Amino acid sequence: MGEEAKGEFEPKIIGLTCNWCTYAGADLAGTSRKKYPPNVRLIRLMCSGRLDPMFVLKVLLNGADAVFIGGCHPGECHYIKGNFYARRRIAAIRTILKQFGLDNRVRAEWISASEGDKFARVMKEMAEDIKKLGPNPMRGKIL
Amino acid sequence: MKGTELKYEDLEGLFKGLLDKKAVDCLILPHKVGNNVAYMMATDKDRIEPPVPAIFAPSFGVNAANIVKGWTIPEKIGIVAKPCEIRAAVELIKLKQMDKESVLLISVDCSGTYKNQDYADHYGEIGDWVDSAKIEELKGKGIARREACEICDNRFADVGDIGIARVDGEKVLVAGITDMGVEALSALELSLEDKEIEREEEKEKIAADAKKKEEELPKASSVEELEEFLRDCIVCKNCRDMCPVCYCKECFFDQPLGNPVSGDLLNLAELRGAIAVPTNQLMYHLTRVYHVSTTCVGCGACEDACPKDIPLTRFYPVIAKKVQEIFEYVPGKDVEEPLPFVTYEEEELEDKLR
Repeated sequence: MGEEAKGEFEPKIIGLTCNWCTYAGADLAGTSRKKYPPNVRLIRLMCSGRLDPMFVLKVLLNGADAVFIGGCHPGECHYIKGNFYARRRIAAIRTILKQFGLDNRVRAEWISASEGDKFARVMKEMAEDIKKLGPNPMRGKIL
Repeated sequence: MKGTELKYEDLEGLFKGLLDKKAVDCLILPHKVGNNVAYMMATDKDRIEPPVPAIFAPSFGVNAANIVKGWTIPEKIGIVAKPCEIRAAVELIKLKQMDKESVLLISVDCSGTYKNQDYADHYGEIGDWVDSAKIEELKGKGIARREACEICDNRFADVGDIGIARVDGEKVLVAGITDMGVEALSALELSLEDKEIEREEEKEKIAADAKKKEEELPKASSVEELEEFLRDCIVCKNCRDMCPVCYCKECFFDQPLGNPVSGDLLNLAELRGAIAVPTNQLMYHLTRVYHVSTTCVGCGACEDACPKDIPLTRFYPVIAKKVQEIFEYVPGKDVEEPLPFVTYEEEELEDKLR
């Protein structure tokens, strides 16, 4: 993988999203023809509580530039409390990644199924932020 | 706390009594082996040796909690060990790797320890126990305590069921911390009185020193530095095996996905063009530090276990502490306090998500 100039760099973002809210929110963004950058690849989880922080590590170690995590608003989890547990795990893994300057490549947002706008906005912000940050330092390394 | 003062020589009777009165069915405690100390497990009270100086010896070989991991039988085991080991045992109880009712945890004051091989090599200079003056003197001679002990601020025997604290005049204060501890001591017909030892000032000094030492430790602060830090790691997983709170029955990194061999390995290399082998070095350590992040007691057994002498204390306990701080959790302090990952508050941590 060559050294791309920062301006031309197109980040690859992996989105781990809850089936009941953010995934449907992304669907809504699509059906209501909201525009957002095509940098994100969504992976559907049945709940943000399904998120094992190893997913985050694996995504970053395999060279993707950022991880987006989408879940239901606190208190609105389809399974009552999955996102509360997820929140603790995300906070912990981000604290660990912070030690190595990688925490700003992980972002979690609560986006409900009706918030297509918010999904599009977050994707736009994230793509811009990661473009500024540049490629994941793990990319291209022999790991 | 309900406790009683005993002379050093009375401790032998105390431990024999625990076995004799069936307060425990067996007892793990340190004993002298040549110039060093090692743990033994005794069921026969007549095999108990005089416990002083062994229980105070500043030597760390293995974390005793690691030995009793998986103790889920009803027979009761007593463990006489340093506070970090007792704290690890408390975490194992919370992780359901030990039965609370079948372990009696006895913590002993610790002065910080030397690697057990260093201790044996320099036994002549270190002696049976050390105080802060001696520690400084030894440091001048190039004999340093383990880094984990330098940054430890939980050295007092105030964890577990019973605490054995050293007091002036070659005496100890044996105190019951939990009901189970008090019960065990009562069975020995010791006259228990309300006892408190005023050590707040000393405790604060130790905490301040430890914090300073921790800040001074060199740490990897970027991916590149982390790569360099772990450069020599051969993924032998000794750090996992010796870690008292790493407890999975089957570790992810022993399974095909975590430890790919043969065709799987080739597929992985084809996918990525080139991979480092042995595989998953960085993934292994980052996953492990997450897994132990709330329960790591900072005993430093991982560093001692590393055949490549990677100073893992600068990684595991240091990072774990950062995670423990966000949950305001001190591992091993209270057996009733839930583990951070099995509980939550409705409003919290929103500033740590993005």
